[in-house]
Amino acid sequence: MNFLNLAHQHLLLNHWPIIGTFMGLSLFLIALTARKDYLKKVSLVIFSIVALFAIPAYTSGHAAASLIAAETEAFPEIVETHQGAALMAFLFMQATGAFAWLGLWQFRRDSRPAKWILPAVLFFSVVAAATLALTGNTGGEIRHLEIRPEQETLSFVAAAGTAIFASTQRIVLLPSRWGGTWPILETLHFLGLTLLFATLGLLDLRILGFFKQLPLRPLVRFVPWAIAGFACNLITGMLFFIGMPAFYNYNIDFHLKMFGVVLAGANILLLFCTDAFRECEQLGPNEDAPISAKFLAATSMILVFAVLVLGRYMPFFEESLTPF
Amino acid sequence: MAIPLCLRTIEETSLSMWIRDTPSLFGYWFILTIHAIGMTMLVGASAVLDLRLLGVAPDLPITPLKKLYPMMWTGFWVQVISGLLLIIAFPTKAFTNPLFYAKLGLIAFAMVMMARLKKRIFDDSSLNDEGMMIKGRTLAMWSFVCWIGAMVAGRFLAYTFKYLVYPDDASAKLGQFLDFISRL
Repeated sequence: MNFLNLAHQHLLLNHWPIIGTFMGLSLFLIALTARKDYLKKVSLVIFSIVALFAIPAYTSGHAAASLIAAETEAFPEIVETHQGAALMAFLFMQATGAFAWLGLWQFRRDSRPAKWILPAVLFFSVVAAATLALTGNTGGEIRHLEIRPEQETLSFVAAAGTAIFASTQRIVLLPSRWGGTWPILETLHFLGLTLLFATLGLLDLRILGFFKQLPLRPLVRFVPWAIAGFACNLITGMLFFIGMPAFYNYNIDFHLKMFGVVLAGANILLLFCTDAFRECEQLGPNEDAPISAKFLAATSMILVFAVLVLGRYMPFFEESLTPF
Repeated sequence: MAIPLCLRTIEETSLSMWIRDTPSLFGYWFILTIHAIGMTMLVGASAVLDLRLLGVAPDLPITPLKKLYPMMWTGFWVQVISGLLLIIAFPTKAFTNPLFYAKLGLIAFAMVMMARLKKRIFDDSSLNDEGMMIKGRTLAMWSFVCWIGAMVAGRFLAYTFKYLVYPDDASAKLGQFLDFISRL
């Protein structure tokens, strides 16, 4: 097994968002009919986690496409159709994940989410499932000649995805005398990371036993700020990728960083947005957190710092992978 | 305007050349990474304090946040040392960019705000949380704005520099020419 082969990486990753979304949607529908809150929460966790998984699945796809670009068997129009649909599926999965995450946060804080959250999750997950079906289907056709239709027709979804990709890329690369859109996005990326580190760092340090005079419950108010920082960096980061995919495709550092983002996101979600560590919130001044919470706080610190270091080292590893 | 020759002298030192050109993992990008980590400590600690004083997490007691100051100062010195090394690597790039002076000014202003915040709020034991918020609001707001400004300026330094290294005569003349053209 070759971990450094990006086409292989894409094959290992790309089934999870599809299967996960369909499983999450089925469970969500059961939860809504049965009116069971705990089932709703589990499906929201699934939606959030698969949205994170969709990030490396999408980014490794671009690398895989550039690897097979030279092959005659892979028709470029099929790859393009797949990529267009994949971007649409990615966007709808992220929207589903964002609303699911918000819903989980509200479940934990107020023990019930705002009225519009669950319908929004339902809407976006249904659209995500439909676009994912299209993505999986066209993706399969790239390698499986036996299921390939006689005539490939560019679907509306794929055309929309291709158009969104092209216009986003144009905006991200907009030049000007002082550098254009890119420096603005870089600045937002740094402001987002500082916000995330400031708020998440204080929460993690308190759980680990520093700043012990602080009670934990009021500190939890900083969680939405941390998630806002995370979301800001996810958006600006994806814009960087869409702007210059060729810069990231052959960068080992970038692919490692994407795994770090998935793990760090899942860690924050588990520690602060699910019921798993809810009792930890009752921690008063000078009280000690349970060892399990300390473990997750420590991994969360390590993961966000690993992501920061990998991010800062990115240019150093340009072209660290060679096309196979 | 002539560029001071001492910048070229710094660039020609072995330390400067090593940071710029070494293929080692612990050269330029390592220092830049440390500079980013120091930033999260310095600006992160200040930002949390500012946000609390501006009304976020209103139930959080303010007095224990005094312990953020050692972290802030640690971050500050990490930034001074890593920043100096970055200047040694690219002195011409830094000193010929007006934005660099803006960044230093904003950092100095923000640090003065943080020091005054400590004196006026944390060293006054007669204040309760509400009194601290009223007394600290303006200082917190200004330091928060200055930190954002310093980060914006810092990030744009990578895109707005005029010379990466000390120019030889030909490229200096070209630079002056381009400068002249751009002002037309």
